[in-house]
Amino acid sequence: MKELVPDHQGLVLVMLFVVGNTLVFALGGVAGPDIWLAFLLATVLAIPMILLMARVRSLMGGASLACGLEQLLGKWPSRALAFAYAGYAWRLACYVVSDVTNFIQAVALPTTPQVVTATLFALLMLWAAKEGVEVLARFAAIMSKVVFNVLFVTFLMLLSQVELGEFQPVMYNGVKPVWLGAFQLLEFPFLEVVVLFWVFDCFRSKKSPYRVFLPGFVAASLILLVMASTSLAVVGAERYAQFYFPVWAAVARINISTFLTRLEAIIGVTFAIGSFVKMAACLLAASRSLAYSFGFADYRFLVTPLALGVIPGSQWFISTLLDVELSVIKTYPTSATFFQAVLPVLIWIWVEWRARKLGRGKSSPTQAGGQ
Amino acid sequence: MVVVVILAYAAVAALEIWLWAERPWQKVLLYLVLIAAGAVLAALLLRDSDLKVPEPVGFVTRLIKRLWEGGGGK
Repeated sequence: MKELVPDHQGLVLVMLFVVGNTLVFALGGVAGPDIWLAFLLATVLAIPMILLMARVRSLMGGASLACGLEQLLGKWPSRALAFAYAGYAWRLACYVVSDVTNFIQAVALPTTPQVVTATLFALLMLWAAKEGVEVLARFAAIMSKVVFNVLFVTFLMLLSQVELGEFQPVMYNGVKPVWLGAFQLLEFPFLEVVVLFWVFDCFRSKKSPYRVFLPGFVAASLILLVMASTSLAVVGAERYAQFYFPVWAAVARINISTFLTRLEAIIGVTFAIGSFVKMAACLLAASRSLAYSFGFADYRFLVTPLALGVIPGSQWFISTLLDVELSVIKTYPTSATFFQAVLPVLIWIWVEWRARKLGRGKSSPTQAGGQ
Repeated sequence: MVVVVILAYAAVAALEIWLWAERPWQKVLLYLVLIAAGAVLAALLLRDSDLKVPEPVGFVTRLIKRLWEGGGGK
């Protein structure tokens, strides 16, 4: 059975996926006061990759992911690709769960073993992934109102603490930190969007992938830009890079007439909601692509073993808060480059070639309007 | 503890497979392989919390680097 997600819900799912578990970390901290430039550069660099991904989905027309991939890539190459991305999506789910468990242990439950919170989150994402992408997108559409309203109110309250001088002098250390910051942001979280390629089963029209991926990504990157820059302006450029959770530290400083204080807990709630959506999407992508790679039409029977594997996996890949920090600030490790940049470009080249061969390259007005 | 973890994984697998309406052997096999992999990983981590993470892509990159340096070195 095809799972169809309306464009506006898909867009919100992309937004929550990108904002997801990233909000509290020191994103692009290496850029220092030029963090806003790093964000803009990373967004500009990521947009071609997002468009490329949307183009590949667009060439599938109204076909489901499995049918479209088989038509465009061939049976065995598409299955091998799905197998590789299943591993990548599962590993990403482990990272997200680990980020959340370490965050919770650091700020709220220091004596609770991480495996307890990991198990609870694994059960939650198991439930969400079993319900499918339609339910997940609907959940994202509802919860996004909470998350983005909270972020907006937090931003307004943070303005009372902002020191704009923290952004000066512009590019004092040259262009290199900006590029390094941009590459950090590309690896985490911008190009992790490749996982969503495997989440959506089919789209309403050929233009839907563009309507879902591009505005969703750009809106999410702007939200992250605003929140990260505001936090840096509150805590200072040096401390922004030193803190594990600079946004948390910045929001803790909000003090409105000694009446509204200690509001950082609301950031924790938004972080938990975003992380939940992201880990559920990763699990869904892993299950769907693994089922497809083994030739099964239904993916739901694989959700439970993969979710149970995430519990030890989250302790395996990252075990301490320092590991979380290192995974956030690393600049393009090999595996990320391979899955986020090299493979999508190769797939796009192959798919364009095949589409031209099959005569699908140019869309007629009727095709573009909807299937 | 290792035995308890393995039993927990086995219990979940048994319960879920019992709840399936149909049990084609291909699905059951893949399911059991994945559950077993998860259980083994959990058991290994209980024995050794610093278990090394394999890096297949990193291994290829290091191999290429070594070959490249070997070709150009004295």
